[in-house]
Amino acid sequence: MENIPSIKFFYPEIIITSLILLILLLVSYSRKTDGWAHYISLAGLILSFIAVLYEVEAQETGIFMNLLALDKFSIYFKSFFILVTGLTILISMGSLEVERLRKSEYYAIILTVCLGMMLLSSSTDLLIIYLTMEMISLSSYVLVGFLREEARSTEAALKYVLFGAACSGCMLYGMSLFYGVSGSTNLYEIKRALVTGSVSPLFLLLAIVLLLGGFFFKISAVPFHMWVPDVYHGAPTPITAFLSVGPKAAGFSILIRFFYLVMVEGSQDVGWSVLKGFDWTMLIGVVSAFTMTIGNLAAIGQSNTKRLLAYSSIAHAGYMLMGFVVLNPFGLKAILFYLIVYLFMNLGAFLFVIAVANTTGEEEIESYRGLAWKAPLPAVAMTVFLFSLTGIPPFSGFVGKVLLFAAVIREQWYILAIVGILNSVISLYYYARIIRVMFLERPVDETPLEITSFNKWVLGAFVIPNIILGIYWGPLMNLVEESFRFIGS
Amino acid sequence: MYEFYPILLMLLVSSLIAGGFVLLAELLGPKKPTAIKAEPFESGMIPISSPRKRFSVKFYLVAILFIIFDIEAVFLYPWAILMRELGLLGFLEMVIFILILLGGLFYAWKKGGLEWD
Repeated sequence: MENIPSIKFFYPEIIITSLILLILLLVSYSRKTDGWAHYISLAGLILSFIAVLYEVEAQETGIFMNLLALDKFSIYFKSFFILVTGLTILISMGSLEVERLRKSEYYAIILTVCLGMMLLSSSTDLLIIYLTMEMISLSSYVLVGFLREEARSTEAALKYVLFGAACSGCMLYGMSLFYGVSGSTNLYEIKRALVTGSVSPLFLLLAIVLLLGGFFFKISAVPFHMWVPDVYHGAPTPITAFLSVGPKAAGFSILIRFFYLVMVEGSQDVGWSVLKGFDWTMLIGVVSAFTMTIGNLAAIGQSNTKRLLAYSSIAHAGYMLMGFVVLNPFGLKAILFYLIVYLFMNLGAFLFVIAVANTTGEEEIESYRGLAWKAPLPAVAMTVFLFSLTGIPPFSGFVGKVLLFAAVIREQWYILAIVGILNSVISLYYYARIIRVMFLERPVDETPLEITSFNKWVLGAFVIPNIILGIYWGPLMNLVEESFRFIGS
Repeated sequence: MYEFYPILLMLLVSSLIAGGFVLLAELLGPKKPTAIKAEPFESGMIPISSPRKRFSVKFYLVAILFIIFDIEAVFLYPWAILMRELGLLGFLEMVIFILILLGGLFYAWKKGGLEWD
């Protein structure tokens, strides 16, 4: 589709762009916007979501001359990103850490990340992929370093920048190789060139590995996971929560779109096989096994909750990668399902960390000693999130994991399935350690812990989907079934 | 891939010529070092202090603002060349682009990004 007619399928992005500009212009005049920037951000996100809903009925097509795709897959992810961003804003509203920051800019940059993620999930051109990846990365660097007075935040931002720059350099080189063999940056053209032309597998391997450098950095898979603990620890906690879900999901969206558009033969209906016998599934399967194992083993020794959750988020990227390698739609749908489930359990766990740190200023696991006596309801909520993260029924994490493992076993990746199950057992140990400290150890002093009623309500709101999706997941599964359809799939 | 061979050839020849001359000068040239010759060359100026000083972080802010408008200029050139072909539509697109950048400049200006002290 040409540029001008495409604009009417671009309203969600336009709304968010205008919102960012509006906030920046308003804050140029007066700092008073700090008091209500979050409200207009939420309002804008809702508007944008309504605009996304209007696209559902639209014909599947490439817009802006095939730079972006308008399909069910991108609509699913756009809605997902709007949801993540909205929830992050809710979490930020209850955080004392954010209270003393320049909040207007803070929310404007969060919205920029949201815009980048929305564009990334629908991009079908290497240049747009690179541009939007950078848009997400650069804004995340700033968000991570937002606590300017704290050395650990600045340090985290610097490490993130250095690691990110190296990874995106790798990715750019991989993209240039793809351009070299196909003469085009468009994914459909690249696919055509790879299918018709003769490309040596070694060359393809080099290009893929370099490209994966950038993608794996975003989803924090081994060996591109080193930045995660330090960055997650140093960043303001709401941003840690945001980074652990948003950009990770964006990374998965482009990973799925790129590989299942370019690197496979066949289609969703007749079944996929790897392009020209070049077996990238083994490569990513090994990465998946290492990612969950290293993430889980490293999490055991952590004493800081944010670092523990950082390693756990690495492990979860590993679980989700399991669904990616099986070359059948069930695995990919399981990833889409798991992302939603993961969103609620992970953001919930981080919200608990924020709510407690608001009062005590502590993030160490030891500081939760006897919390069940001091703040029973939040402790119970955290237990739900942790059980859900482990994958214990009847919570939503269990359903997500069952779907992933079912897809892996269906395609006879038994070793990967065994590694995954062993990892789930390991993860129970360190998640349960937090629960043990909260419930089984008596507190030093039993004065009740003050947690604001706003945070209690939001915590409660996060518990609900964790339970409902664990018992009644049909509607979400139907949504995922319908959404897993992109141009060329 | 064959169409890229001239570039490889050019790369090889140019590095051969450049490297060859450096090597020849190293082998054949007379060597009479003096204190003046050993000084770092600073466009004919006399170096007065170490170049590895710390300098103010404000320079970075100026550099970042400069880069934004440098990139803007890069985007303006191709448009300027094709202005007639692109017509009103291209003009409007460019206006939106510049307005967005101006919004950023306005923010930087209001927040004191352009002041030195």
